[in-house]
Amino acid sequence: MNRNFDRYAGIVFFAIGTAFVIGSRSISTSAYGSNVGANVFPLVLGILLALLSIRLVYETFRREKTEKQKENLDYKRFGIIFAAAVLYAYFLEDLGFVISTFLFLMIGFQTMQRGRIWVSLIISAAFSFGVYYLYVNVLDGSLPGFPAWLF
Amino acid sequence: MSTVEYLLHGLGTAMQWHNLVFVFFGVLIGTVVGVLPGIGPMSGVALLIPITATMTAGLSPEQAATSSIILLAGVYYGAMYGGSTTSILLNTPGESSSVVTTLDGYQMAKQGRAGAALAISAIGSFVAGIVSLIGLIFLARPLSEIAIKFGPAEYFSLMVLGLLAISGLAGKSMVKALMMTAFGLLLATIGIDNVSGVERFTFGIPELYQGLEFLTVAVGTFAVGEVFKTILEREGNDGKLAKINRIMPTKQDLKDSAAPIARGSILGFLIGLLPGAGAILASFFAYIVEKKISKNPEKFGKGAIEGVASPESANNAASGGAMIPLLSLGIPSSGTTAILMGAFIMYNVQPGPLLFQDHPQLAWGVIASMFVGNLMLLILNMPLVKVFAKVIDTPTKYLIPLIIVFSVFGVYAVQYSTFDLLLIMGCGLVGYFLSKNDYPLAPMVLGLILGPMMENNMRRALTISNGDFMIFLQKPVSLIFLIIGLIWITVPLILKLRGKNVIINEEG
Repeated sequence: MNRNFDRYAGIVFFAIGTAFVIGSRSISTSAYGSNVGANVFPLVLGILLALLSIRLVYETFRREKTEKQKENLDYKRFGIIFAAAVLYAYFLEDLGFVISTFLFLMIGFQTMQRGRIWVSLIISAAFSFGVYYLYVNVLDGSLPGFPAWLF
Repeated sequence: MSTVEYLLHGLGTAMQWHNLVFVFFGVLIGTVVGVLPGIGPMSGVALLIPITATMTAGLSPEQAATSSIILLAGVYYGAMYGGSTTSILLNTPGESSSVVTTLDGYQMAKQGRAGAALAISAIGSFVAGIVSLIGLIFLARPLSEIAIKFGPAEYFSLMVLGLLAISGLAGKSMVKALMMTAFGLLLATIGIDNVSGVERFTFGIPELYQGLEFLTVAVGTFAVGEVFKTILEREGNDGKLAKINRIMPTKQDLKDSAAPIARGSILGFLIGLLPGAGAILASFFAYIVEKKISKNPEKFGKGAIEGVASPESANNAASGGAMIPLLSLGIPSSGTTAILMGAFIMYNVQPGPLLFQDHPQLAWGVIASMFVGNLMLLILNMPLVKVFAKVIDTPTKYLIPLIIVFSVFGVYAVQYSTFDLLLIMGCGLVGYFLSKNDYPLAPMVLGLILGPMMENNMRRALTISNGDFMIFLQKPVSLIFLIIGLIWITVPLILKLRGKNVIINEEG
């Protein structure tokens, strides 16, 4: 349990709730044949979320301070894989499924554990080609193929 | 047609060869998902939706929906079988509903009775699966016939009840659970309003006009979030697997566990019916009950076979019971059934009272397939349990990147958009931090799915009443639902104030 996290999350959710309340005021208040418009539902829920967030922030002040457990999180490995995953998602259409998946898997495997590069190479290649072949040629699905500039 | 006739028809559907293949893969993947600690039934089902969507592309829409749901449901109850394997052999539950099984299961394994424990949990799961199926067959249709009389006001209140029940039991803090529910419902309002056609909260971003796709959010928060957690917290399997000697339980084992299995099945089924209470609660309750009525309760925790048989039956029965509100009312009662409901909606099939009228082939086909699936699971889990135990050894370093690839592939195959891919990564990050700090994610996904339905029903009811909110209190059935919902969240609060420990449902 992290008091600080709860406090910040409370503030963020309060902001989200308020934003929905403000946003819903600019939505039309009636629909044809009904005097209940598209604004009611988000308005009520936004208020509810904001109130609950206030309650949460209030709770964090009341709660006694718990001693902080020092956690040993692996930020380095996570950072590399997360960055790689975001790049993978972003460039999937540009690079095509096979190339981007292969690159991501290589980075992923090697970040999780260095060494045995041949095993990583074989698994990555087999997986990226295998899934692409199965999905596109056998199941007739559609995935971004190889980039045009390659050929 | 009578129920039996419908069921035979369903069996005919389930026995078509392609559906048999689908059940088989469903339960097989389910068992593997249950065995692997990093991935639970929720992310397993979410990840498989897009893949089944492609696999069934050649079939007619209704057949495609039937086959896919058959597979996905198989993953759901298959995971309940698989979860016990790691609990017993490794003392780490493969998914959260098998937590209790570790208490006695691992002790049994230490005494060299791992095989018997695994066999009893497979047999118990099978019996429970059948019990819950019988319940499902006899309860689903009558319930849907009642539900069909509900108007929009009743439906709205029923959904309020469902959401309150889930929030009341999910996670350590009810405030947080309610916040997540409200947040999920708010997220559901993004996009074009399907009553009046106005755009809401889209900020002119074209990707948002359709609204946030539930599949993307579910895959992101559950599958990718779980992966991030594994990386950050360096989780892995360092423990040593217990040896499996003989698999067949002795006569004494069978005699000792027959009654607990029966009690666990019935109890689990009833708990599974309740909204918000899922397989985890069921297994906890079953264990406590067994310990209470046992002649020598000191045996528990030291390798009592009753302590394995009862909770393992209960969690499987609960997963069957949870199908009832989904199929007959169209209201999911747990995270995994919420994701199953998303799959129904993707195929343009609305679960609920009309399901049995409009799509009898689908409804009864799925029910009958659960019978076939349970039989397959029994066969798979008894002799092949040693093979599945090997799955535990899958190195995390290969598994983690592959799950991310599967998430990306799965979402792209359905959505064809880079925006959704980036959204998964964002949801994964948010999901990890939220669940780490006890913000339950299941209510959020449930809110996201129920949001549009709930809003439509609310507005329909308000249109009938000319904007008078009292309609929800004036209709008796609706009032009852609201009162039950209120009780549901106040009772745990009062219990907590009195300093009692409330069992909570954490689905993962």
